[in-house]
Parts: sequence; structure tokens; C-alpha cells
Amino acid sequence: MTAVTDVPKPSAARLTAGAQAALITVIVGAVCLALEGVAPWLVKWPAAWELPATQWVGAFLDWFLNGIKPAARLFSDLMAYPMNWANYVLGNTPWPILIGIVTALGWYLGGLPMATLGFLGLSFVLASGYWAESMNTLALVAVSVPVALIMGGAIGILANEIPRVKAFVQAVLDIMQTVPTFAYLTPLLLLFGFGPVVGLIASAIYAAPPMARNVMLGLERVEPEIKEAAIMSGGTRFQQLFQVEIPAATTQIMVGVNQCLMAALSMVIIAAVIGGFNDIGWEVLLTMRKAQFGESLMAGLVIVVFAVVIDRMSGTLATERKRYDRRVVWAMLAFAVIFTVAFRAWLPNPSELTVLDPMAEAIDSGLTAFTQANGPWLDALKNNSLFYVLLPLRIGLDQAVLPFTWGFQWTPAMSFGLFATGAVIALLMAWSGHLTGGLIVLILIGMLETGISNLPWPFVLTGAAALGWVAGGWRLAALSVGLLCTILVSGLWERALLSLYLSGAAVFSCAVAGGLIGLASAVWVPVWKVVRPICDMLQTIPLFVFLIPVLMVFQIGEFSAFLAICAYAIVPMIRYTRHGLVNTPDEMMEAAISSGATEWQIMRDVRAPYAAPTILLGLNQTILYAFAMLVIAALIGTTGLGQSIYLALGQADVGLGISAGAAMAILALIADRMVQGFAEERRKALGL
Amino acid sequence: MTDATTPAIACRNLWQVFGPGAEKALTDALSRSGNDADQAATDLREHGFIPAVQDANFEVKEGELFVIMGLSGSGKSTLIRCISQLLPGTGGEIHVDGENVIGASKKALTELRRKKLGMVFQHFGLFPHMTVAENVAYPLRVQGIGKKERLARAQEVISLVGLEGREDSFPRQLSGGQRQRVGIARSLAVNPDIWFLDEPFSALDPLIRRQLQDEFLRIQATLKKSIVFITHDIQEALKLADRIAIMRDGKIVQIGTPTDIVLRPVDDYVREFSKDVAKGQHAKVASVMRDDSECGPDDPGLTTAMTLDAALAHCMELYEPVPVRDENGAVVGTVHPSDLAAALQVDDE
Repeated sequence: MTAVTDVPKPSAARLTAGAQAALITVIVGAVCLALEGVAPWLVKWPAAWELPATQWVGAFLDWFLNGIKPAARLFSDLMAYPMNWANYVLGNTPWPILIGIVTALGWYLGGLPMATLGFLGLSFVLASGYWAESMNTLALVAVSVPVALIMGGAIGILANEIPRVKAFVQAVLDIMQTVPTFAYLTPLLLLFGFGPVVGLIASAIYAAPPMARNVMLGLERVEPEIKEAAIMSGGTRFQQLFQVEIPAATTQIMVGVNQCLMAALSMVIIAAVIGGFNDIGWEVLLTMRKAQFGESLMAGLVIVVFAVVIDRMSGTLATERKRYDRRVVWAMLAFAVIFTVAFRAWLPNPSELTVLDPMAEAIDSGLTAFTQANGPWLDALKNNSLFYVLLPLRIGLDQAVLPFTWGFQWTPAMSFGLFATGAVIALLMAWSGHLTGGLIVLILIGMLETGISNLPWPFVLTGAAALGWVAGGWRLAALSVGLLCTILVSGLWERALLSLYLSGAAVFSCAVAGGLIGLASAVWVPVWKVVRPICDMLQTIPLFVFLIPVLMVFQIGEFSAFLAICAYAIVPMIRYTRHGLVNTPDEMMEAAISSGATEWQIMRDVRAPYAAPTILLGLNQTILYAFAMLVIAALIGTTGLGQSIYLALGQADVGLGISAGAAMAILALIADRMVQGFAEERRKALGL
Repeated sequence: MTDATTPAIACRNLWQVFGPGAEKALTDALSRSGNDADQAATDLREHGFIPAVQDANFEVKEGELFVIMGLSGSGKSTLIRCISQLLPGTGGEIHVDGENVIGASKKALTELRRKKLGMVFQHFGLFPHMTVAENVAYPLRVQGIGKKERLARAQEVISLVGLEGREDSFPRQLSGGQRQRVGIARSLAVNPDIWFLDEPFSALDPLIRRQLQDEFLRIQATLKKSIVFITHDIQEALKLADRIAIMRDGKIVQIGTPTDIVLRPVDDYVREFSKDVAKGQHAKVASVMRDDSECGPDDPGLTTAMTLDAALAHCMELYEPVPVRDENGAVVGTVHPSDLAAALQVDDE
């Protein structure tokens, strides 16, 4: 019994799913705009209809957190011991010995290049004068990472062993990936009080998921025949797991260790926001607030050096099997000890080193000179971007076009003209067979006129439902609308739209710019040679450090935040675009060439369509990265949910912090599911 | 080989059905169809289940080399995984040395695997983090046998498969053929009575494949294991097998000796397989022998065990029946040369 389902043929009478969805969205949008005068509630959700959800969440969490507070405090007291030990050990080990250990470790893992990296990296830290602060940060990492590795590993193994747990763990990990970092901090603050232990626990919580994920993935990917061979050898489940499956999954698990280390470092630095603990993150924050950008950049560079050294060294765990001669390791350590003993009396106190202070000052003065010399140009760039791009996107042409900036006043007639133009374009496109495209153009023009933060809520809900329906069917549509409604009634709607606007603008810019850079990298190898190390660098740098350079040049404000988000979120777009385009199967390329296609035709007709699912996944990552950075960027001036989360942290307002964090997670989750849905559909269409 | 003892493996009405709640679905389908396997299978498919093995019935005698052959997706890999209990089996019975292993406790299965079973995999299934010697010794390690003792035993089997000198290599440093030798050595480490081989030579180059097949036959000639061997290659099946079971869509369609399969295929599917086979190399004189004693004056010296090709070569010039002898030299029947030629005719309809 083979059931052959009829494929619906596109016909004039029957609209495609996309066209139907777009048409409904257009109609709802038009109705909302038309009735704005009569029924303002159609556009702006009335405050009277809002539920005090934030307070409820706050009250519940207060009660709950207070309930488990004694246990939490006990735990934090316990964690204080290893942290103090690590602090003591790292703080009191003479610096030549630490440099020797890191260099020796570098040699053992990756030979001469890695040893050089370790030596130069730590020497720079020493010379910067931030040695003591760095050791404090390192102590936090040194304690939080083992905790995260054990937690993550245990969760991963448990999920692998019990299928029911697996689905649950996967869901929780997915959600945790979308919840912004600052949102974790507020409840932790309430539980554990101020101080370094909070940072430690936050970073352990933040760093455990990548480990769990990679352990699960690694165990899942062990070849079935290897698992079967272990069974047929007569191993018990315990023997199978620990003697065969986990060792066979080592490579993937080491990727997890690498990601865990990087996440822990990143979070330890972010956590400085809440604690006046004498670490390197705090140093960055402090100097940034004092506008001492030279020093701030120097401290930021110390963080980057740590990130690079930790990343590259732990990366070789996963990629390289070769280990280097141990005798050299012992020789290096012995030399470090002898050096320390011999020169003990003359070793400078690292905190008093000022070798690089002139450099910081030079940067400071150089920067001042640069901004003064290029002031008009930089200001023009900033203001033009703000007034002609960001502001209209945010509040719409009807409000953004003012005589003061644009030179004329927007009139209702202009709105009408704009809509009429849109309608004509849509009609023309529909006439030439691109109905869906035409409707989308009309929708975009409408959004530009209204502004994202002023979009009528029924329109947003319909649009989300329409996108969800096209991307993943009714279930995704219902999920999107349901989740958005919780934001709507909880009074966070306006802030959510503001976040949507900024991340949307950043994602759009990243998609265009990143896509082009990715394309160029795929076509010209020299471009990739330049772009690749930059991408590697941008992905290694902890989020926090992105703020320093933009702040130096463009000061506090939305444009700086926008740039910081773009700088961080553009990387996956570049990488995935290039990866997708480069990995077209050779046979397909050869088939196209032997058909007589030109380079450009191959790109347009073969490589780009084949790469589409991969590029969509890159877009998905870009969206998630943008949301992650949005919250950090709140430090230098954004509005919306990010700012709320940051404010909540300052006021220890758990309700607001968690609700805003959840709203952010909801937006990210919906975007993620939709793009994944489109990517999945493309993959299916290509039979991948 | 004594047929009186219990068979090494016996499958009775064995089913493997995939899908949620397969066990109940199978019982229901069987009761609806009045225990008719074909109907039950159709019924299961209609309800969205996949009957990968349907009502398999066969026995593997002690010391017998039993080959299961079929195209990909015919359920042969599933069947061997049922017998080795890597899959639980949805219905029926599997007797290994007279004991039903379906529903046996985990502990009993582990014990069975430690003492009696060995398995070789298509893609070798070697442990990437262990050396050749450690891989081979692993089945002994899980039993808690000391390092010295298990490495000594590993050395024995490594020599048996001709890998001396590679004990300390890692799998990634070996060629495909060498890897499979490690797989074979590992499966023999505990000296099992029953040996499962799941397409052991399919991933190898033709030359290496032939070499390993010959070596496999050499090893089997000395060890005399009871073997279940899976392949999709009819030539390999005919070369190695004592008996062959041919599978199609989860069903065993024919069980027989290589001669049976070549000369007496039960249906078009089996005939299609044997079409490309040079019959003369596999069918024996016995299959075309007549009982009557009338024969011509010539005696080219045919025996029952001769292949048709060899026999035909002996009577190229003859047109009258010739006598056939058994292994003791006694005349047991006659063969007409034209029958030999007819049997070798390629059917081209």
C-alpha cells in the first residue's frame, strides 16, 4: 500500500501558504492603522489591561529564594574555601613560576608555538601591572570550571542514560542558551549575597551547559558499531560507558571543556558588574566609568590575552592528539624554580610594574587626538546613522522626519503617498507572479512608516503567527502567539519592541555585511586569509571587552550599543555563509561547469541555493548572539529589556530581572524556532 | 558434525517489529490474521509499524557456516542483531545452545556474551583509543582477567589472524583489511562457540576481500565454530556457506545449500540473484545425476562432488551417458553429457 499524496499545484485561484500569511498580515495591519483614531487600544495595549506579572513573579521568587536561602548560603560558604585556597595559591606563587608552568603546559600541549604564546601572553599580563587582579580572576575560573565540568558532565551522562531525562535536559539547555547572562545574576545575588562567590556560582552555572551539551553529543555520536562491540564483548553498562563510550567521545568532550572554559571566563568578567571584587573585569568597568580609555583598553587586552591563551591551549586538547616531550616540560619548570630562587630578592612586585603605563597614556592621548582630528567625520557618521536609519526604524518616518534633522516635516499626505507607492509596487510584483514578495515589500514599507516600537500589537501578533505558520506549521504559530501574549499582558511589551528594534537593526546589518564578507571570503581566498583570524579573535574575546573600543570612539549611546552588537554578532554570519558556499559538493560544481555555466551563474544557481540552509543557521546564530550582546550593551546605553535587566540587577529587583530576562528569552526562542524552521524546510527541499 | 545434538542456534517464529508499542501490535496483528505471517506483516505496515524480521524459522547446526543473504533493507542486519540480542526481539524464540535468550536477564546475557559469543562488524567497530592488543584483549578485560594473562591470549589470536608486529598500533594507523583482522581477532579472544559476522568483508577492496575470505575459511577449518554470516554478495555466500538463507523485505524466502540456491531457486527473486552466477562453479554433478545404470563405453572418471564445469571438461567429446562414482569409488549413477550442458545453459528469458 503506497499512498501517493497529491502535490498541490500552484494556481491563480489557490494562494501559496506564504501569500496567504502575508495577505492576512497586510489586512490586519491596514485595519489597525485605519482604526487608530477610533480605537487607540488597537495600536497601543492599554496600561489598564496589564497584569502586574512582574510583581507576582517577584513576590513568588522572593518567597521561594528566601526558602532555599539557608542552603544556598551554606553552599556559598563551602565554595568560599576552595576559592580562598585558589586565591592564596595563585596570589602567593612567585610570578616566574606561574609563567614557567603556563609555558611548560603550552609546550606539552602544542609544542613551540603554544609555549611561545603562553610565555608572551603571561609576560604581557605581568608587564601591564594587572598581575594581582588577573590572578584573582584566574582563581575564580580555576574553581568554577571544575564545578561546571563535573555538573555538566554528570548531566550529560545522565541524559544519555535515561531517554526521558534527555528530552527534558535538551529543552532546559535550549532555554538556558537564550536567557541573557545578567538575568541569572539577580536571583543569585538574592541567594548568595554580594561578593566574589556569586560570580563564581554564576559562572559555574553559565559554563555547565556547553559541557553537558557536548558530552551528550559526543556520546550520541559514538559509532553504533563501537557501542555494539562493547556490548558483545560482555561489558556491563558501567564498563561500556567508562571504558569505551566516554573515551571514544573524547574529542567532542574536549570541545566541551574548551567552551566551558571560555564561558566561565566570560561570565567571571561580566559578574564583576555586581561585585567590587578586585579582579580584572572590575578594573575594566572602573576605568571605563572614569573614561580612562587607555587603561581600560589595557585591562581589556589582558582579558583578551587570557581568553586567547586558554582557548588555544584547551583547543589543542580537542584537535591535536600529539603531546610533546615531557623532559622539556621538566626542564622548563626546573628553570623557573631556579630563576625564582636565584633572583628572589630582586623580583619586582608585579603590581608595581609600570612598563606599559606609558603605552596606556599614549593610547589615551592618541585617542583624544584622533577623536578631535576626526570629530566632524565621526559625528557625521554617528548622527547620520542615528537620524536617518536607526531613529526612523524605531519610531517611524512619521515621527522621525522633522525639520530639525531632515529639513522638512512629515505630513499625513506623505504617509498616504508612501503607502500608495508600496501598493503599486506590490501590485506590479503580484502581476509579474511574485505576490508574496510584493506583499512583503508592502509590509516592510508599512513598518518603516510606523516604526517598530509603534507597531500595533495585533499586527505584531498576526505577523508572528504568519511567520511561525509558514516556518513550522500551526504548532509554531500557536507557540509564538502564546509566548508573545505573556509579554503583552505583563507590561513589558514596549520594552520588548525596543529590544526587537535594536537587535533587528543589528541582525539586519550583520546579515547584509556578514553575508557579503562571507561571499567575498568564499570567492577570494586572500580575503578569507585576512578575515579568518579576525573572526577567530572576535569569537574569543569576552563580550564585555567589545564595549571598550566603541565607547572610546562614539561615547555612550544607542549607536555605540548598535556597533558593539554588530561586532559580536556578525561573526557567525560570515563563517556560515562562507562555509556553506565553499562546501558545495565537487560533483555538483563539475556538473555545472561541464554544463557551461559561468562563475556567476554557478554561484547564483548552484552554490547559493545549496548553501541556503547553512546560511540560515548562521543567521540563527547571529540572532542569538545579538540578543546575548544586547544585555551587555545595556551598560553603555540601550533602552528596552536589556536596560530593565541591568536596572533590576542594580536594585536587586528579582521580579523585574527575571521577567525581563524571560521576555528576552522568549523573543530569542521564537526567532530561533522560526529560522530553524525555514532552514529545516530548505534542507528537506534539497534532500539533505 | 552430528545432527543428533541440539542445534547451536534455533529461531522459532522470530519477529522484530519497530514502532511504539510494537509488542502489542504484533500480538494483535497475529490474532487478527489467524497467525498468518504475511497477512500480519501487511497489517503491521498499514498501521505504521516496520516488521523488519518476519516469522524467521531456521536452525544453525554445531560447526555449520550459515550465511544470511539479502539486499540492503532486507532485514538481515536486524536479524543478526536479534540473535545476538543487540535488539530485544519482538516475538518468537531464539535458542542458543538450547536456552531461550529472548527475555533473558541482563546478567545472563552478559555472561553468555563473555563465554559463548563473538561478533565481527561491517565497519569494524574498533575502539579508537585502544591499541590493537588492547582492542583484542578487551573482552577478557571486562571479565576481570589480569593484564598479563589477557595480553598473552590476545597475542595468540593476533598471530592467528596474521597481525604480529602491529600489537601497539592504533586502529587509525591500520589499513581496512588490517582493521578487520583486528575485529576478527577480538571476536575470537574469548574462544566463543558461536561466531557472528555482520558483512565483515563488505567494506573492503575486492582483492583484500578475497584474501580475507580465504583466510576466514582457513581459520574456520581449524576452529569449527557455529557461524552466522551476513552478506549481500551472492558470490561470497556461495563460496563460504554450508547453507544459505535468502531474505527479502524481512522474510526468509529460501533456505538451502549453495547448489539448491543456484539450481532450484524458489522464486524469481532468488533466480535473479543466481542469474549472474557461473552455475558450473557451484553446482555439483550429483544434482544432474540419474539413477539408471545404462551407460556408454567411456568412463571419464566423474565423481558426485565434482562441479559441473569440471565434469563437462571431462566429457567434451562424449555423447553417451557416463558412470558417476562416489568418494569411495563405487558407481552410484550416470550422467548424460547433454544434461550437463543443459544445466549450464544461461537462462535468458
